Amino acid sequence: MTQTPVFLGLAARASAHDMDLVSLSVGGDRNAFGELVRRHGSRVRALLRRMGADPAMADDLAQDAFLAAFEQIAEFRGEGAFAGWVGRIAARLYIRRWRREARMPLGAEATDEDTDPRMRETGANTRIDLDQALKGLSKVERLCVSLCYGAGLSHAEAAAALNAPLGTVKSHVKRGLDKLKGALVAEPSPSAQERAYNE
Amino acid sequence: MSDRHGSDRTLEARLENAFAESPVFADADVFALRVHDALERNWLVRRLVIGALGLAGGLIGVVQLLRSGLVDHLGAVGGAWRLVNNDLTGLPVARIFSELFGAGPSTGAEVLWMSGAMAIIALGLFVTRAIREF
Repeated sequence: MTQTPVFLGLAARASAHDMDLVSLSVGGDRNAFGELVRRHGSRVRALLRRMGADPAMADDLAQDAFLAAFEQIAEFRGEGAFAGWVGRIAARLYIRRWRREARMPLGAEATDEDTDPRMRETGANTRIDLDQALKGLSKVERLCVSLCYGAGLSHAEAAAALNAPLGTVKSHVKRGLDKLKGALVAEPSPSAQERAYNE
Repeated sequence: MSDRHGSDRTLEARLENAFAESPVFADADVFALRVHDALERNWLVRRLVIGALGLAGGLIGVVQLLRSGLVDHLGAVGGAWRLVNNDLTGLPVARIFSELFGAGPSTGAEVLWMSGAMAIIALGLFVTRAIREF
């Protein structure tokens, strides 16, 4: 890590490395942390939406995740990306709420009823659009896939977070991957993703 | 993640990339501002709570000190010191003590003056801190 100045101006903050901003945040610099939020907020919000949260809930949980991250910022050692670290905090917050609201027993077999019918008709030539592709998964599959590939949890960590058997999580992930395989066949369509977020 | 095997490696890697490459939301700055405001609010509440607890603790401490008769005790100790000092002025040790500490420990009135001065200093520090923070 480079030597971090005690205070950074607006322009310097905008160009500072994440770890420098983290160091400043450890010292209580809320403006430096604000820059981290500006940089990585979208990714955390997108992860929560992909896990199945509606936009309003995703924003609330992302905000709570960043506030929690600020409290624990001294624990971030920079082993991974900052966004990934906050993403894991956000994912655990979402799981806590998901379990509290008991939306669906995790052991339940996924059915096609809670998937987007358009996705069931998806052909092999469909362009990659992760958000559209995830709509083709059941809620539980979507949650498990997002936890493992979006939040970076291992199957075992996801099972522990969900308080579910490891085998159950693995089978949900496997089924989810099988469904995604058909949808994610070509290069992503940035315009489609941009449209989805900015709607 | 060691528990991922097989021919799905490519798909898994692409999936991880797709998750990592999120587009920037149109309201990213608004969201950042919202988090920043929440942080400031939390900070303010925390400062007020700590300040209030410190004030309450200080008041309780002062009341307890006054109720314990500390001022009277100190006055009595000061009187006793003067008696001892008068009897032992010829001894070198007592002379040294006398030069170091003057007439002995403070009387009740001096303690009150010192407390008042410290309270004013503490108030000054609080005001400068408050001006800096708000």
